[in-house]
Amino acid sequence: MILKESTIKEIKTRMVRYPSRRSAILPALTAAYRQVGHLNNAVYKEISRVIEIPYVEIAEAATFYTMFPKHEVGKYLIQVCHNISCSLRGADNMLLYLQEKLGIKMGETTPDNLFTLISVECLGGCSAAPMMQINQDYYEDLTREKIDNILADLRAKADEEGK
Amino acid sequence: MAQELVFFKYIDDPNQHKIDTYIEHGGYQAIQKVLKDFKPPDVIAKVKESGVRGRGGAGFPAGLKWSFVPQNTGKPIYLACNGDESEPGTCKDRVIMENDPHMLIEGIMICCYAINAHHAFIYIRGEFAFPAARVEGAVNEAYAKGYLGKNIFNSGFDLDVVVHTGGGAYICGEETALLSSLEGSRGNSRIRPPFPAVSGLYKCPTVINNVETLSSLPSIFNNGIEWYRSHGTEKSPGTKIFSLSGNVNKPGNYEVDLGTPLSYVINELGGGMQDGHKLKAIIPGGSSTPLLMPDQIDTPLDYESMAAAGSMLGSGAIIVIDERCCMVWALMKLINFYAHESCGRCTPCREGTAWLKQLINRIENGEGQQGDIELILDACDNIIGRTICPLGDAAVMPTRSFIKHFRDEFEYHIEHKTCKVKTDYPFV
Amino acid sequence: MSDNGKEKEQITLTIDGQSVTVDKGTTVLEAAGQIGIHIPTFCWHPKLDSIGACRMCLVAVEKFPKPAVACATEVMPDMIVKTNTDDIVKARRGVLEFLLLNHPLDCPTCDKGGECDLQDNVFHFGIDKSRQTFTRHRVIDEDTHTTFDDKRIGPEVIRNMNRCVTCYKCVRFNKEIAGEYDLGAYERGNHTVIDAPPGEQIDNFYSGNVVEICPVGALTNTDWRYKVRNWVAKKADSVCSHDADGQNITLWYDQRQLWRTTSRRNDAVDEGWLCNIARYGYQYINSPDRLKQPLIKKEGKQVPASWDEAIDLIARRFKEIKEKKGSVCLAGLLGGNQSVETAYLFNKFFRNKLKTNNLDYRLEYIDLKGSDENESYNCLYRAQFKIADLEKADVVLVFASNFIKDHPSVNLRLRKAYRKFGTQVYTVNPVETKSADISIDEMVYAPDMETAFVAGMIHAIIDNKLYKNIDAAKASEIKSKLTPESLAEAARMCGIEENRFVALAKKLAEAKYPFILAGDYLMASTKRHRTANGLYNIANLLGIPDTNAAILASQANSLGADRVGVRPNLSPNLTKTLEEKWGEAVPESAGSNTSQIFKNILDEEIDAVFVLGANPAMRYPDGPFVNSALDKLDFLVVADLFETATSLKADVVLPLAGWSEQSGAFVNLEGRYQRFDKALPSGPGIKTGIDIINAIADAMELPLGLNTAELTKEAKDIVDGFVRIPRDVNKFFEVRQAQIPEHQEYPYRLMIGNDLHHFGYVTEHCPSLMRFTPEPYLEISPNLAERLGIENDTLVRVESTTGKLVLKAKLSEHFEGEVLFIPNNFAATEVNSLISREGGGWVKIEKLDDK
Repeated sequence: MILKESTIKEIKTRMVRYPSRRSAILPALTAAYRQVGHLNNAVYKEISRVIEIPYVEIAEAATFYTMFPKHEVGKYLIQVCHNISCSLRGADNMLLYLQEKLGIKMGETTPDNLFTLISVECLGGCSAAPMMQINQDYYEDLTREKIDNILADLRAKADEEGK
Repeated sequence: MAQELVFFKYIDDPNQHKIDTYIEHGGYQAIQKVLKDFKPPDVIAKVKESGVRGRGGAGFPAGLKWSFVPQNTGKPIYLACNGDESEPGTCKDRVIMENDPHMLIEGIMICCYAINAHHAFIYIRGEFAFPAARVEGAVNEAYAKGYLGKNIFNSGFDLDVVVHTGGGAYICGEETALLSSLEGSRGNSRIRPPFPAVSGLYKCPTVINNVETLSSLPSIFNNGIEWYRSHGTEKSPGTKIFSLSGNVNKPGNYEVDLGTPLSYVINELGGGMQDGHKLKAIIPGGSSTPLLMPDQIDTPLDYESMAAAGSMLGSGAIIVIDERCCMVWALMKLINFYAHESCGRCTPCREGTAWLKQLINRIENGEGQQGDIELILDACDNIIGRTICPLGDAAVMPTRSFIKHFRDEFEYHIEHKTCKVKTDYPFV
Repeated sequence: MSDNGKEKEQITLTIDGQSVTVDKGTTVLEAAGQIGIHIPTFCWHPKLDSIGACRMCLVAVEKFPKPAVACATEVMPDMIVKTNTDDIVKARRGVLEFLLLNHPLDCPTCDKGGECDLQDNVFHFGIDKSRQTFTRHRVIDEDTHTTFDDKRIGPEVIRNMNRCVTCYKCVRFNKEIAGEYDLGAYERGNHTVIDAPPGEQIDNFYSGNVVEICPVGALTNTDWRYKVRNWVAKKADSVCSHDADGQNITLWYDQRQLWRTTSRRNDAVDEGWLCNIARYGYQYINSPDRLKQPLIKKEGKQVPASWDEAIDLIARRFKEIKEKKGSVCLAGLLGGNQSVETAYLFNKFFRNKLKTNNLDYRLEYIDLKGSDENESYNCLYRAQFKIADLEKADVVLVFASNFIKDHPSVNLRLRKAYRKFGTQVYTVNPVETKSADISIDEMVYAPDMETAFVAGMIHAIIDNKLYKNIDAAKASEIKSKLTPESLAEAARMCGIEENRFVALAKKLAEAKYPFILAGDYLMASTKRHRTANGLYNIANLLGIPDTNAAILASQANSLGADRVGVRPNLSPNLTKTLEEKWGEAVPESAGSNTSQIFKNILDEEIDAVFVLGANPAMRYPDGPFVNSALDKLDFLVVADLFETATSLKADVVLPLAGWSEQSGAFVNLEGRYQRFDKALPSGPGIKTGIDIINAIADAMELPLGLNTAELTKEAKDIVDGFVRIPRDVNKFFEVRQAQIPEHQEYPYRLMIGNDLHHFGYVTEHCPSLMRFTPEPYLEISPNLAERLGIENDTLVRVESTTGKLVLKAKLSEHFEGEVLFIPNNFAATEVNSLISREGGGWVKIEKLDDK
């Protein structure tokens, strides 16, 4: 089993709030993603058993939505908005800076498995551009200095947790 | 927010998301009044009278929308609150959900009472983990106080509110796709008729309203129609939050009366052009709306004036572009988005946006060919008005507009294999 | 409920200047079709919900702000529609251009060529130059290695994503119509792909339809691809030769062989959907294993002989036996999928020429006591049930039938009624079935408790005063003739809670148009007449319409054989008809049914049997009994397509033509007479059943005197003239659950029957069906398997009082209890050796150590 008891419990708690079990697909994918860090076929199978919806329906829905990574990523998934409002505030150069800082290219993960860097479409932080999302959290009005601090903080946090 | 706030007076109060603060600030009074003094049809009449229009983009009168819901079909009626804010440039609903979630909940209560719904869903885009947590926290507080659930304020009215988060798909902000997604299916839009008001969520009558629309309801009932109509214009009453982004000194969310000149928002509230740069163009209502040019900067921000100026008020996302920007590059950013977000259901959008993306990227990359502009425009003709939902149109409108106003930049690109304007916004 | 009977509101509109009046609710597309205006489509299908996705059917409607999709726009009064404006033509060309952008244009090697909607539409709209200057997007999966990026996604289905126009018809069919979840659409936008679920395959029973409805060459099947061009093939109208639903098909063939089956949509029967057996079950006709010349047993060995030799021998022996021992010593057994004409001629030959009533087409369990003529059973078996009427049903009880297996078309119609009209479904079976997903309650009774269940239902009806048209006194009289004697006892015996009986009884009693449909589990029950008594009572107590309580026939022409009299006892009406046709009386001697024939052989009262198109040695569910009888027989003639367990025992074996090699008719489970045309004729050494019967009759100097036209007409006249005695609403029967044999040492009840992808004994010769189920297995519930340490493919010994077999275990997707199943479609595994009248089908199982 990949899903923890607590995740299954959360899925089931959410499921009963809807008139139809099928509606629990997205809440289940979200809960699973937050626990596992990504989604895959094995996770779909488990969700299928938990909410009693055919496996194919879970896979169809999951692959439609782009927010959930479908393969393993680093501990911190950095998603940088590259849409218009952020781009007008230097998002392209910010991406270059991040790549340089992390020593990886777009789509790659640092060798210590700490950071994965990708660019994404608009995250709804337009008035505080440029911005990025790391796992669940938004980081806005970014500057080089802020990025340095954020990455340092995350590294420190990871060290503390003994990774 | 620095300007005079009307609906969102307390939005900057760090405790406003807490129920006690909200109540302290006069919260949950409107719903009590409505439950006590109004019959559901009277609520609808009142909302109609107020003239409040949908703030999601289309500007459809909210009261009229509610009146389409058939009563006594034997089926439950649902409210789906659209918080899937994903149109590039738009970040206004997020502010409400993060900072004043109870105002949204109170608005939802008013709407549900009016349309006789006992089950409401707040669909929040999946990336908005924090706003969603705030709203869910507020919902839990409201349940704990007995403001949600059974027999609300001893009125006999029952209401359950469920927070539902998405999975990363712009299309789910389109109302029928939102319903598909809420039902657990892929977020494909569906053909109308049947309209959601008649056959929506789980094939039951459903109203879909934007977060901002619903959030404006408590003030209307607290302060009255006259007060509401004293803001805004005759046909576009009230205030609206505009998300100002791009090359201005103070980007941010600003609430102003509808009908306020665009220039006021950019120059006064937004502190003018970033570092004194020159205004080149404005995307006034979210990335899908046609451009306004510098000479149109005084256009009033209301539905009618924006239409007259050849664009749309849309979601109220004002994206300001300065002279450093290559318009081919800017359009590429937009078209990449629409191609990425096409759900894949109808042919013209699925294939057409992908082709536009290829063509525009090719021009931007210095590989454009003679005839590409004409080809792009012709492909646009084959997309717009040909699809189930407006996503196809949303890709075409900026494309046409960018080419209309900046054709020279596109031609320069094709001829010289490079930008006329070298875009390189610094990151410091 | 669909509002049948009510006059539908009419709406008049104008399409391309022509006025047309149609029912309210009709779409513009359908209205246009009615006046011959073709509107092109990709994603539209008449039996699927419209999704308006392909945008090919856009039309201009006056006063509409933009073009509308004809497939989903309902007609409105005075609507003015134009289907051919410049704008519309441009829109369609636009759609085609978009679809072709990344299409591989591999028409020369595409099997859909010549019947491809994309080809046809591009041809029609005359696009002859491409503006695509990018490298075409190509979907290459990890497991697609061929030049054409084909990927096998199921035993039959092969997917080429590059050709896909993303109309979603396949996925929609699967979910909407079949209720199957083994195909999906993944990713989004122009990256959308159609595939089986990750790590799985599309192998559902209706999966062939996704190939047929694919508008392009994206989905093809092993059966047909790269074999013959469709425009070269000839076509024959036909009907499925297996189950009794009578799915209408088109056979495609050339001078070499049959090539494929497609649907010949008949809305009364199949609505254009075929099960895989109807689709791939033609292939046995092509088999290289067909018998090609007669065989005669000489010194214990079957050796080739000429037709003359074989026919002469048969004629001589039949004559000898008839003359020396009497006509009652001859008997005939006819397969349930021989044509009506063959059946009628068989009857005439035996009754009118050989003068015996020993003939039958029912090779399932028949009671030795002749209860095949049980009144209640026959009344329900011959009920004039109509498949399409299910759409009007409010409540349907499916009783003792694994519906998907027994009745593929009725099953789909029931699913449609459930989905579209809210029909409430209850299923009651000895095992869990696929129908569970549409059932309000799926009840599973203990093995052999069919009668107890119906008795329980009668108790529930009477105890709760749900009966109609009788008084309390009559009710208590009916109740006094029930075993078990109370609902509580019935509930205990069946293992189903009392309240579930009551809930079902109430639902049926409240329903306006209820159905009770029974199938193969009932038919296979040795005590089927007792259960039929109970069903008859329930139908009368609840006032269920005569047409709506039915036991459904099981083979392609079961009812045809029944109608024309291939059974020992005839109704007075049929006797009269036959005597008029033949100009003489039918024999007076008592006839024997299948079981009695075997018993009489053992008692040395029957000496010769002619088996035409049947294999009782393998299929009769009492192996020891049937085999000892056939072994004992003096003279056995078997006509069949293949060497079978029965033919191996024969003194003369005759190669028989298949159904597609002749024209004829089948009568389906509704009593619907459906003709099928001759496709490719049989090889030179093979004869039709009709030719064989005529040849034997002629050689015996007992000519039957009917040419083809006369035979066809007489057989049809008899079918048409069939008169059924309606259910007598005042009649009630005793209903007594029979004792179950002691079986302490044998704890599990073994059910035998058809595998989902096999039918009868010929489908082993259909390569496509073998790809779905290549070998027999022991189906076992996961619970029981876990308890016994059995996994998929574990070897298990199954043993009864009469035999033992070793099989691979297969964990069931549906079973939950302690019932086992083995398919009886595989010649090498003599499943019926485990079953006997005395043993009752109880077995024990043991896990063998080695896999």
